[in-house]
Amino acid sequence: MSHDSHAGHVAHTDHDAHDTHHVNYLAIFVVLCICTALSVIFDVVHMSKPITIVLVMSVAITKALCVMMFFMHLKFEGNWKFVLLAPTTILAIGLPLALFPDVGASYYTSTAPQTTKWAQEISDYQKHHAEHTESANHAEPEHADPDPAHVE
Amino acid sequence: MSHTAKPTALKMGIPIPNSKLGLWLFLGTEIMFFTAFIGSYIVLRLGSRGWPTDTHDTHINVILGGLNTFVLIVSSYLVVVAHEAMAQKNFAKARTYLTGTLLLAFVFLGIKSAEYYGKISNDILPGHIAETSSQAVKKASRELEVVVRDRFAEYTTSGVVPTDRPNDIVNLVNQIATLPSVATPPEGVSEGTFNALKESAPVDAELFRQWMNLHQHIVANVSLKVPAIGPEYLAARAELKEGEKLPELEYAEVTSLLTDMKANEKYGYYVTKGVFEPHPIVYGNIFASTYFLMTGFHAIHVVVGMILFWLVLKQGSKLDEKWTDFVENSGLYWHFVDLVWIFLFPMLYII
Repeated sequence: MSHDSHAGHVAHTDHDAHDTHHVNYLAIFVVLCICTALSVIFDVVHMSKPITIVLVMSVAITKALCVMMFFMHLKFEGNWKFVLLAPTTILAIGLPLALFPDVGASYYTSTAPQTTKWAQEISDYQKHHAEHTESANHAEPEHADPDPAHVE
Repeated sequence: MSHTAKPTALKMGIPIPNSKLGLWLFLGTEIMFFTAFIGSYIVLRLGSRGWPTDTHDTHINVILGGLNTFVLIVSSYLVVVAHEAMAQKNFAKARTYLTGTLLLAFVFLGIKSAEYYGKISNDILPGHIAETSSQAVKKASRELEVVVRDRFAEYTTSGVVPTDRPNDIVNLVNQIATLPSVATPPEGVSEGTFNALKESAPVDAELFRQWMNLHQHIVANVSLKVPAIGPEYLAARAELKEGEKLPELEYAEVTSLLTDMKANEKYGYYVTKGVFEPHPIVYGNIFASTYFLMTGFHAIHVVVGMILFWLVLKQGSKLDEKWTDFVENSGLYWHFVDLVWIFLFPMLYII
């Protein structure tokens, strides 16, 4: 609701000027739908994990840019958008960056129970599971991986 | 002091309405909020030497996730054309578009609920997931104990087996096992209830014995093929040579036992209903925690957006140009909700 102050009304006049840009929203919508379909196709078609990650994240970034630039009108807004969004974005990535060396990169030997205390048990289970699958399907045996990291 | 001179309006600050500035500042905090979740998820996943990605384990449905992405995109499109209609003072058209957005938000939450149900019904919940075979066996035993306790509760709550210690199932089983030899119901218990429970008593006592047997084998960590307590167990241990030990309880034995129990025509129904498939999922708990945290907070944001659209639609035919900025700001919020989902979808459903 436009119940802003007098200064707000003055500002509103400038703001209205930005709304004169014509955007073909339907075209943006079609692009977003195609991108979503592509994401699902990339999941269904078997590719190596790194390629899938690059492709689906590229699609996600494309979709995000479409939404931000056209649906949120950031393409037509003034430079205030950088003043407002740059600090928050920089601060936002601070936490993941701070956590990454210790938790994400694991530059030391992992002591998580899944990889130490439980490792043998997980390995035994995978071995049994592989044997079970082999006898159940009469198919090619799944090779049990003694490394508990490879559970996917 | 004279107040006749009106100050000239200063063109200072950001050239947008105050409400929109406020909304963008709020979205700034939201960026930090969701980036903290998504960033932590990425870091935790990179730091875990494995992650459950098999859809049989995670009960993730990429088609439902993709459908929800499509639903949010359509709703975002409807919001943007609703704002355009508001700017053109075509309020009836704007209301139609916003009604569509609100309905699609319901569809999104409906699909999300179906996904949540899939996980909850398979006990894919933080802290509930067994990550090793021994945890899976112990979890199955705990679930079986709950089944036994629920069955026994029928005897104690109805008064068929009077007791002041209803949780002492080891003591209760003796009273339940001897129930068929009792001729008359206790005072205040109907004949029908008494006869029904008298008939089911041997079955429930047998169910208890099966659970107790499993429990004792888990505690002693010996195979189901050898006794876990009593003189036979002690004798078997006494026969062991130096360095030998009794065969340990194996995961396969327990799954086989549970399969047989679920197939039992007398108590199989209760076991099937109360005991999940004992399937270990490595790093399953942290997966469930991050999944529910991110999608849960996103769903809360969807609900808030629905409230905003409902406030506009509540105006009915009274909707006018005073609401244009409100619709624009609600739309910006809704696009942000869409934006978050655009990243959650590939990270949770595909990668």
